[in-house]
Amino acid sequence: MEWGKSDNRHFIELLSSYLPDRIRQAVGLINGEYINKLEEIRIRKGLPLMGVFAGFDYFIGEKGSLSDNPGAALFVSPKEIESLFLLICEHSVYAFQNEIAKGFITLKGGHRAGICGTVVYEGEKIVAIKDISSVNIRFSRQIKGCAQKVFPHLIRNNHDIYNTLILSPPRLGKTTLLRDLCRLISQGVPSEKFNGLRTAIVDERSEIAAIYRGIPQNDLGPRADVMDGCRKSEGIEIMLRGMAPQVIIVDELGGTQDAEAVRRAWNAGVRLIATAHSYGVEDLKCRLGVGKLIGIGGFERILLLGTDKGKRWIKVMDANGNELSFLDQDSGMHTGLFGLHSYGNKSVKQACRETAYIVKTNRGSS
Amino acid sequence: MSKLTEVLLNLRNQMCRLGNPLFFAFENIGKDTLAGEWSAILLDCGEIINNQQIDTGEAWRLAIDKNKESMPLEESDWTVISEFGEMLGKSDIQNQESVLDLARENIEILEREARETAKINGKLYRNMGVLSGAAVVILLL
Repeated sequence: MEWGKSDNRHFIELLSSYLPDRIRQAVGLINGEYINKLEEIRIRKGLPLMGVFAGFDYFIGEKGSLSDNPGAALFVSPKEIESLFLLICEHSVYAFQNEIAKGFITLKGGHRAGICGTVVYEGEKIVAIKDISSVNIRFSRQIKGCAQKVFPHLIRNNHDIYNTLILSPPRLGKTTLLRDLCRLISQGVPSEKFNGLRTAIVDERSEIAAIYRGIPQNDLGPRADVMDGCRKSEGIEIMLRGMAPQVIIVDELGGTQDAEAVRRAWNAGVRLIATAHSYGVEDLKCRLGVGKLIGIGGFERILLLGTDKGKRWIKVMDANGNELSFLDQDSGMHTGLFGLHSYGNKSVKQACRETAYIVKTNRGSS
Repeated sequence: MSKLTEVLLNLRNQMCRLGNPLFFAFENIGKDTLAGEWSAILLDCGEIINNQQIDTGEAWRLAIDKNKESMPLEESDWTVISEFGEMLGKSDIQNQESVLDLARENIEILEREARETAKINGKLYRNMGVLSGAAVVILLL
C-alpha cells in the first residue's frame, strides 16, 4: 500500500463516532483529494479546527474548506472539547485514567488521540490531566510489505533471525518497519523458506500493536503475543518467564535498564529486534546503556533509515557497521517531513553531525 | 430496591476494580441473573452508551423511561435513581467510588423508607380490616 493512495474515508467513518457533530460534518466534507493526505486532526478549545495534510497544516472550515486563514475556520467550542474528550474515553474517564496520565488514548482502529490540559501531580507522578484544552487525533496506518525487501538480510536460517536494531531520526518510519518485520517473522515467509517464529511484543507506547479493548488493531501475524503499555525492561522479563518466545520485539530502546533487559533476553537465547532514535551508529554509541549494545556481542544487524530527495533508503549493516546492502527503492512508506519538505540527505546528515557534536560536547563538558 | 443495592456494588467492582468501561460494565451486570428486574435497564443503558453519541446521564434516563412501567417504584424513587446516572463515568476512579457509595446510601435510605411505609400501611390495612369486620358484625346485629 502506498502512502497517499489509501482511502481515508473509512478512517473518517471509523472516527466519526468520536467526533462531535460540527467537527464530524466539517471533516466529512473535506475534498477527497485532501482527505487521503490527512494525517492528523487538531482540535483546540476556542481555536480554529486544523488538519495536518501530508505534513502541511490547514485550517478546516465548517463546510470542509481548507485554508491558511484561521478566520475562515470552524472554531471549536469548550463544550465540543468536553464532549470529544468523553467520547474518546467512551464515557468512562476512570477506565482510561492511566492512558490519560500518559497523554494519549488508543482509539478503535489503532488511531491515537493525544491530550493536552492541566497536569495533576501526586508526588512525583502525573496522575491525571484535567481541563482538557486540546486533542490531536493521529491516523495510524499499517503498511504491509514495507519490510519485504529488507527481511532476507535479517534471516540467519529458515528458523532463526539475527538480533537487529533499526536506527533513524524521528518520523522516518522505524515503528512502521518494525511492525511489518514483526508480521513477517510471526507468519513466516514461504518465498524465503522462512518458518514463522513465536514472537513476543513489548509495546510500551501501544504503537506497534495498537491494542484496543484487548485486540491488536494491526496485523502482527498468527504467532504474536502482545504485552501492552508495559515498561520494556519489565515486559521483556515477563515475556521471557511466561511466554517462551523465540523473538522479542521492542520499540525505542533508551536507558540502561532497557539495555540490561536486552542482555537478559540474549542470555536466554531469545532473538531481539528493536528500534532506537539515532542519526547513525556513531551517534548511538555515545549513548549510555543502549550504546553498549552495538559492536561484537551486540546487535548483529543494524538498519539505518534515511531519505534522499524524498526517496527512502535503508542501509543494512553488520555488527561492526560495515555496509551489507543499500536499499534505495521506495518501499511505499511515508517519507515524513524530511521528504515532504524536500530536506535531502544532505540536510539530514548535517543534522546528524550537529546532533552528534552536541551530544559529544555535552558529554565532554559534564 | 435491595437488588439495586447489589447491582451498585457489582457496578463499583466492574468500574473501579476491573476498570471496565461503562457500556461493558452495564452489559456484564445486565447479563448476570443476579441483576434480576434491573437487567433490562442495565442492558439498554449499555447499548445506548455504546451506540449513540449521548451523555451517560441521558442514556441512563432513557433506559429508565423505557423500562420503569414494569417496576413497582414510586416516581420519587425514580427521581433519585435517575440522578445518580448524571455523574457516572465523568471522573477518576476515586471520585466514581464516592459517586457509587453515595448512590448506594441513597438507595438504602429509599429502601428503609419503603419498608417503613409498607410496615405502616400493613398495620393500617390490618386495623382497617378489623374495624370493617367489626362494622359488618354490628350492622348484622
